[in-house]
Amino acid sequence: MLSAFRAALTTPDLRKKILFTLGIVAVYRLGANVPSPGVSSPNIRQCLELIENSGSANIYSLLNLFSGGALLQLSLFALGIMPYITASIIVNLLGVVIPRFEQLRKEGQSGQAKLTQYTRYLAMAFAVLQATTFVALARSGQLFGNCPHQVIPDGSVFNLVVIVIVMTAGTALVMWFGEMVTERGVGNGMSLLIFCSIAARIPAEGSSILQTQGGVVFTVVCIFALAIIVAVCFVEQAQRRIPVQYAKRMVGRRMYGGTSTYLPLKVNQAGVIPVIFGSSLLYLPQLMSQLVGDGTGWLNRFIDDYIVPQSSWVHILLFFALIIFFTYFYVSITFNPDERADEMKKFGGFVPGIRPGRPTAEYLSFVLSRITLPGSIYLGIVAVLPNFFLSITEEGANQNFPFGGTAVLIMVSVGLDTMKQVESQLMQRNYEGFLR
Amino acid sequence: MCSEEGGMGRLSSAFWKVLGGSRRRAFSRSRAVVATAAKLEGEYRELTESDLAERLAALSRRHRPVDGDDGAGSTATFDRDELVRFLALAREVSRRRLDMPAFDVQLLAAARMFAGDVVEMLTGEGKTLAGAIGATAFALRGRQVHVISVNDYLARRDAEWMAPLYEAFGLSVAWISSTSTPEEREAAYAADVTYAAVSEFGFDVLRDRLGTDPIVPAPQVALVDEADSVLVDEARVPLVLAGSTAGAAPDSIITDLVRALKPDLHYRTDEDDRNVFLTEKGAAAVEDALGGVDLYSEEHVGTTLSQVNVALHARVLLRRDVHYLVRDGRVQLINESRGRVAELQRWPDGLQAAVEAKEGLAVSDTGEVLDTMTVQALISRYPTVCGMTGTARAADEQLRTFYDLGVSIIPPNRPCVRVDEPSRVYATIADKEAAIVDYIARTHETGQPVLIGTMDVAESEHLAKLLERAGVDCVVLNAKNDAAEAAIIAEAGALGAVTVSTQMAGRGTDIRLGGSDQADHEKVKDLGGLCVVGTNRHVSRRLDEQLRGRAGRQGDPGRSIFFSSLEDDLVVRHAPDARLPTTTEEDGQVTGLAAERLLDHAQRVADAALLEIHSNTFRYSRLSERHRAILDERRELLLGTDTALRELERRCPDRYRELSAEIDEEVLVSVARRITLFHLDRCWVEHLAFLSDLRESIHLHALGKQNPLDEYHRAAIPAFRDLLGEVDERAARTFEEATITAEGIDLDDAGLVRPTATWTYLVQDNPFGSELDRAFRGIRRMLDGRRGRADDED
Repeated sequence: MLSAFRAALTTPDLRKKILFTLGIVAVYRLGANVPSPGVSSPNIRQCLELIENSGSANIYSLLNLFSGGALLQLSLFALGIMPYITASIIVNLLGVVIPRFEQLRKEGQSGQAKLTQYTRYLAMAFAVLQATTFVALARSGQLFGNCPHQVIPDGSVFNLVVIVIVMTAGTALVMWFGEMVTERGVGNGMSLLIFCSIAARIPAEGSSILQTQGGVVFTVVCIFALAIIVAVCFVEQAQRRIPVQYAKRMVGRRMYGGTSTYLPLKVNQAGVIPVIFGSSLLYLPQLMSQLVGDGTGWLNRFIDDYIVPQSSWVHILLFFALIIFFTYFYVSITFNPDERADEMKKFGGFVPGIRPGRPTAEYLSFVLSRITLPGSIYLGIVAVLPNFFLSITEEGANQNFPFGGTAVLIMVSVGLDTMKQVESQLMQRNYEGFLR
Repeated sequence: MCSEEGGMGRLSSAFWKVLGGSRRRAFSRSRAVVATAAKLEGEYRELTESDLAERLAALSRRHRPVDGDDGAGSTATFDRDELVRFLALAREVSRRRLDMPAFDVQLLAAARMFAGDVVEMLTGEGKTLAGAIGATAFALRGRQVHVISVNDYLARRDAEWMAPLYEAFGLSVAWISSTSTPEEREAAYAADVTYAAVSEFGFDVLRDRLGTDPIVPAPQVALVDEADSVLVDEARVPLVLAGSTAGAAPDSIITDLVRALKPDLHYRTDEDDRNVFLTEKGAAAVEDALGGVDLYSEEHVGTTLSQVNVALHARVLLRRDVHYLVRDGRVQLINESRGRVAELQRWPDGLQAAVEAKEGLAVSDTGEVLDTMTVQALISRYPTVCGMTGTARAADEQLRTFYDLGVSIIPPNRPCVRVDEPSRVYATIADKEAAIVDYIARTHETGQPVLIGTMDVAESEHLAKLLERAGVDCVVLNAKNDAAEAAIIAEAGALGAVTVSTQMAGRGTDIRLGGSDQADHEKVKDLGGLCVVGTNRHVSRRLDEQLRGRAGRQGDPGRSIFFSSLEDDLVVRHAPDARLPTTTEEDGQVTGLAAERLLDHAQRVADAALLEIHSNTFRYSRLSERHRAILDERRELLLGTDTALRELERRCPDRYRELSAEIDEEVLVSVARRITLFHLDRCWVEHLAFLSDLRESIHLHALGKQNPLDEYHRAAIPAFRDLLGEVDERAARTFEEATITAEGIDLDDAGLVRPTATWTYLVQDNPFGSELDRAFRGIRRMLDGRRGRADDED
């Protein structure tokens, strides 16, 4: 491991890429901590403390997680890359509806470049929208849940517009950072920036646990977090390899007997998406009760007592069930056994011993459903573990606590992907000692 | 009017402007140099022969680069004054020796090539001379120039035609053709300027890699003719050096059996006609016919099933007179982008034999891939690359990404006055053909010469028949009668000529108005020059432009028009689910922008697919080229020293002692070298086979959320590491076991025979689309499913 690091740093162009990436990350973190002009940072700090102590989950906390805490600091990069991600999802969705988008997608690089351009424009529109929303919420005090301190002391239109413009420009810059890292650095820029945002919160959260809970709990938390990370690393790399053979070419003799031709199916084929879907869905009842209820009806009481508190058994069970459901749902829409079987048939491939077409599709779907069961249970456990932990310690913190399920899953998968890319580049370049 | 600026060109020129326009500045500097050289024209014209010789001699004092310098250093360029004098002299020499004084634009093109650009010159503007002047400039600076031509014929013609120019500057010039002997090749490579087809340069490099005494000198400058064709279109085609093994054609039983299968019922093809596969019924039919075997059992997979698939591919996807010709009892491939017979090309992996079996011909030998190299790898060996073509602009983006080459657009000597009529789109092929015949007949009545560009041999013959029925006499030029090419082209511009051609006439041909004797030149000119009719849009915009470029050469008048239909291959293959415009005129013409836009879209999709293949070929071959470079280093070491013997001595000390007691050390060195080299080459062949196996299925990894290219490297690199150990091990075993006498060793060498080229075939990197793609497709399918059900209930 260490020698791999050393090798990466001694390979000149790889070193350049890594340093470039680190440089971008540094600038990104800096911007995420510099407050926008016109925002009172002492007041923000006080409000944040208030929130932390109250321990109530907030609808914006997921967004806050992705922006690395920048959102609730109203910093330059408060919006992070969420507008871009939203925009790219929407552009993709529009491809289903608008034929022109579908056509562009088919036209290869030049069409793709145009789509990327549209995505960027849309991201800018979202950025303006979100910045305006957050500035309005912050000005009215809602963002921090009734914090008595005014975070934007000067409420003049000019000042508010300046903040919106600064945040929008910040998003544009972050977007560019992401693209630059993808192009000239290592790994996928966007994922890497999310990774940094999440990782950046670890020291702060850790020290707050150390201060409030003392050394013993802190040590337990650390060991626990490490155990989760190891387990996640392990399962994330687990795959079932379905052998596939191709019979399209007539070649004399095959020297290597098809050892490397297989279809890899991941145990966690769905990734982190089901967890995000699940937790978003769980916010809905809370939002509803806030908006329509007066807090007295039996439904409202039920929601407030059992669904909102993350340590309640009802919440945990519901969350778990939702994750299992979404895992199956997501896998079923992304991996269609019929389509895969058809494609394999088209390219002349098949699973040895199984006929192409229908039987292959059935076989794939059989393997898939069997592998998805442990996958979904694993995902559910990783996601609800922190909640168990909460219910044991009886302390307020929330799902977005950096050792929580979503955060660990994202960090580990981005980390693994980036490592793999570095490793592959390293292997391509490092032939020293190859020939005597 | 002649060549509207392409979208891509516009985009990138804007890009350069933003970046400070260094390219534009360089270009205007070259213009200034040419303008200064023009001022010297009068003075140089007055020079006596001896004065001229003196000046030439002064300029020709060579600057041989110091040993070890690749020539890219500062000594290798002219300073401004020298360049001015050189260009002026070149013009004077071309006037006296070749009887065609170089125009300013030709000098400008030469100057830009000397600066390392790809230049775009319209047809008939004299690329050959411009290229020769550019090559002279490099050669005078002491650098060997390889002028990379499209084919043997052009290489030889250009070399012989331009020889007086080179000789006047005291340079030697030579050409290589596929029939040249090794001695001739060696002599040709010693010349200052060497002309040859790209495949000849490539094969010589490949042969050097396997042989023991290399003949190709260290590469210095490559000047590429028809640069976009060679660097972009041909770059997809790897050059392959193959050793013969016995031909393995599918059994005649299987060929017959496949012939009896019915489309849709027994087999289906995918939309873009790149794959064909058996349906379940088809598989069952084959199994029954073969006596109830299980095609998908271990026993039949590698044998029977492969045979069926290959035979099916040969029968369904490869069409006679479109993809190949049958001539002199041989199957000859047709080069898609040029429309000519591709002499050296073969299909890989038993497909060639399957086509031969399908046509009932004798099955030829099958090659085992000994070594392979892409055109791109060949070109990137040269430290300096430049080129010329008629359509560089549309390939701008690719030339920059893949070769780091800039494009200079050279203005025409005389402005181009060709009229490009708006293209006409028809609903059906029948409507289109009727319109084409009508259009040609009407044009023909006026006496204006017409050149028709069709897609393939079959279409050209079909159209000729239609024209004859309409009472129009025409000449057909296609790969079948390529021997008559020169004669047909010479008369294609004659009064009243109608020539039906394939892509053959699309690139590089120079059609003079008024026929070979140019008797009716003025009359044809008054009629509006040559009229070019395209019967289809091609897969790439560049090919359309090349065809149009046949008309309006050197300021002559000309006309071009393209006909297409919504049933054309282009649309059917590349825009299969587009909504077709339905309203048509009486004659079946579809008016309005929608149809035109649909065709543009289909063309862009086709272009993108080709680009995808190119960049995939590039990305996947980079690693094996890297590996090959390591092996080459190793080979050099083995060839130049006694390393092979020393290593075998270390591995098998006993055997060495035993042998060295009886046999001369020198013999042992050569024996050890031959053994080790043999195993090195053998292991490389196996490694290549392993890589192509790996490549075939690697896209599946995208489904496991892995990057296929990374996974490819992850598997290929350890395999290469093992290879090196394997070579040593096998060499040691041979050393131990073989009989080695005082005469040496009798290795039962696999005969390394004549090289053959092959085609690549499509393996798309990620046919599944991104994960998000798949999710959306899934959602759409669910919606469609519901809608479908709702429809049923209605």
